[in-house]
Amino acid sequence: MTAQAPLLIHVIAALIGAVYLAWRFQRIQVSPALGGMIGAAAGAVGSAIFMLPLNYCTFESERSLIDAVFGVLLIGIGMALVVLPVDALIRSVVMRRRNPNMGGTAQAGAFKGWLLPIVFLAPTLIVLTLFLYYPSLDTFRLSTLLARLGARRTLFVCVDNFTSLVSDGDYLNSFVITIFISAAIVVLGLALALGIALLAYQPIKGARIYRTLLIWPYAISPVVAGVIFLLLFNPTGGIVNYALDNVFGIKIGWLNDPTAAPWAVIIASVWKSLGYNILFYIAGLQNVSKDIREAASIDGANVAQRFFSVVLPLLSPITFFLVITNMTYAFFETFGTIDYLTGGGPLNSTSTLMYNIYEVGITNNDLGKAAAQSIVLFALVIGLTVVQFRTSGNRVNYGA
Amino acid sequence: MRKSFLFVVLAAMLALAVIPAFAQETVDVPVWIAFTDENRLGWAQDRAVEYNEMFPQYNVTVEGYANYEELFAATALAAEQGTLPAVVQYFEVATQDARDSGYFKPIAEAIGDRTDINGIAVNFDDFVGPVREYYTIDGVFTSMPWNTSSAIYFSNMTILDAAGVDTPPTTWAEIDAACELVMALETAPEYCWTFPNHGWFFEQWIAQQDEQFANNGNGREERATEVSINNDGSVALLTFLDEQLAKGYLYYSGAQGGDSWGTVDQAFSTQQVAMAAYSSSDTATYTNVGTDNGFEVVASFLPYNEVTGWTGNLIGGASLWLVDGLSTEVEDGALGFLLSINSTENAAAWHQLTGYIAVTTSANELLTEQGWFEENPNFSVAADQLAQSTITTATSGAIIGAFPSIRSVVTQAVDTALLTDEPVADVLAAAQEDANTVLEEYNLLNAE
Repeated sequence: MTAQAPLLIHVIAALIGAVYLAWRFQRIQVSPALGGMIGAAAGAVGSAIFMLPLNYCTFESERSLIDAVFGVLLIGIGMALVVLPVDALIRSVVMRRRNPNMGGTAQAGAFKGWLLPIVFLAPTLIVLTLFLYYPSLDTFRLSTLLARLGARRTLFVCVDNFTSLVSDGDYLNSFVITIFISAAIVVLGLALALGIALLAYQPIKGARIYRTLLIWPYAISPVVAGVIFLLLFNPTGGIVNYALDNVFGIKIGWLNDPTAAPWAVIIASVWKSLGYNILFYIAGLQNVSKDIREAASIDGANVAQRFFSVVLPLLSPITFFLVITNMTYAFFETFGTIDYLTGGGPLNSTSTLMYNIYEVGITNNDLGKAAAQSIVLFALVIGLTVVQFRTSGNRVNYGA
Repeated sequence: MRKSFLFVVLAAMLALAVIPAFAQETVDVPVWIAFTDENRLGWAQDRAVEYNEMFPQYNVTVEGYANYEELFAATALAAEQGTLPAVVQYFEVATQDARDSGYFKPIAEAIGDRTDINGIAVNFDDFVGPVREYYTIDGVFTSMPWNTSSAIYFSNMTILDAAGVDTPPTTWAEIDAACELVMALETAPEYCWTFPNHGWFFEQWIAQQDEQFANNGNGREERATEVSINNDGSVALLTFLDEQLAKGYLYYSGAQGGDSWGTVDQAFSTQQVAMAAYSSSDTATYTNVGTDNGFEVVASFLPYNEVTGWTGNLIGGASLWLVDGLSTEVEDGALGFLLSINSTENAAAWHQLTGYIAVTTSANELLTEQGWFEENPNFSVAADQLAQSTITTATSGAIIGAFPSIRSVVTQAVDTALLTDEPVADVLAAAQEDANTVLEEYNLLNAE
């Protein structure tokens, strides 16, 4: 690589940043020249976020095309991380200047200075910095290394840990598995929970006892859920196969058949999160006003219509909330269940992204690749949450 | 940032370490082992109590970890933080990692010319041949043998007798023949036999056929740089296992590595299978489970491929490693404990409790004298199997880096061979490539 190349990268980045902010500034009627200047600075800084620590290694001549493409992607992400917040910040400042009444004034009870709130926040901030932010940042460093616990040294491998994922069959496979298992857990879990909540919500005798009992599984840890279902699903001695054999004359290889094993994980996970979902749906159902239902009833809506056209839309905030929490649960917290139930097998059929990270990082002691995978997962979850907020957010009815 | 954080942690640890020092004058000797069961952890802790009573200047404490893999990781972390104990139990496949890590000091080097430690005699010649051989690296007695086992075969003779099979199978063909009879029974079990999909069994079965696991003399002449798991022996093994599965004889639980043991225990103890390959470490448990549930359990040598014949089997289990850089008092306290745990009485009792072989000649003599082996023939199988093994490069076992990670590549390959239609040779070729990548990366980071 020539010595001018890094400079060239930043100049191009600055140009793009300048053009973008100039255009944005023009739209809010602020001097485009000012926008261009700020944009150039922000673009240049943004492009350096990843490239300086990596020392521009992705563009070295002996690296493959995919490394260079990944490098361009990193520059783009770095620029977005700086340019977009700068844009948003300046916009809000400008808007506040033009509309001084809009929100900007301090409310009663707010701190006047900045020192006192910092002091109060310090304990939390220190703990977060030491145990969350610093390790998270260190993950980025680790992801560029070939590293094993207990080894004599580490080697810098640029972005190999990331780009090798593209051709890693096991990893791509775990993507599909994660999507399948997560989608099944969310859809089945919520449908079942809503159905049970509708029954448990009825004002019948002993309803409180039923409700309490229904919520119990939530209090059990994912590991214990894994152990319980390990015993139930055991291919030779398990009670599930005993019952299936006696009633239908079939036996299912819950733990040693790659097509059945994901379902074992799904069933165990749905059962485990059921209590939580029921709890929220019962609360949601109790908030659906009786007047609305009666009104619908008077208008001639039958039971099904009342449910699908009135109750379900009114429950949408709860459903939206539950979709997000269940998605997070399916991504991260099924780990304990999988570890005890199937250990990611058979044939990696239950090795989700999260479990794959554990296998690569802990079982195989390959810290760099595991760090790279966890960063990809981190980016995915952020992306997923943003998409969910953008798409489902507008259709969610938060009521009056 | 990082330094100041370390400083705070170090200061806190120093405070914690200094305060108790005022309270007591004994020397702490922490020992980490990979057992959590009352049987084995409890036994070791009892020995520590005895030792502390005999030598009040020492305070040996034994702490248990869930399994070898977890202890292995905990040790690496402790080394990073400078909090290693005095003694760590490492399994046989971590030998290369242990050498490369530099955490440990060879036992012989620590003992030097001394013939006793605090009056406990040093006698390396008392260890039985294969054991002494195995734990001597580059001519130096390196780690203290403790739990030494081999892979053997357990048969439910009550079922085999009913099927008209008089003796446990000794070869793969005999397994097949016995299974044909067993599965024809009206009261046939669900499957005929099973094995834990643990890398150790793959290693045992290819070593029996005198096939090496890695290059450079199985890593014993020079650092291994390539594995050779794609060989005729392994192709024969996976083909045999695949056929057994297809015939419905073999039960494969789908569990791999450390998780696989429990699934075999469960299938054998509930008589869902008639036979199981297993470690001799649980000879006591397997024999008793039969007695308690009304069936007879007979242990025998691990069946071999009749086409290639039997060369021998590998040692398995773990040994106790002495941490390097201890103060003289701690080191002597640790050495004394390591010697006393293998005293004639202790080595014999440990064998009787578990089924790990009695590692010293004197312990074996004591047990023979007491008529133990005559009354409990199952308990002599592992030692006999090792004693009758021809020591070759293959049967000495491989010493390679990242072996625990390579084992998981191997169990994945067995899993794939059993559960898919992919040709066995292709599966093994892919596994060899994966394992070589792991080994290459390990060597990049660790080789001199």
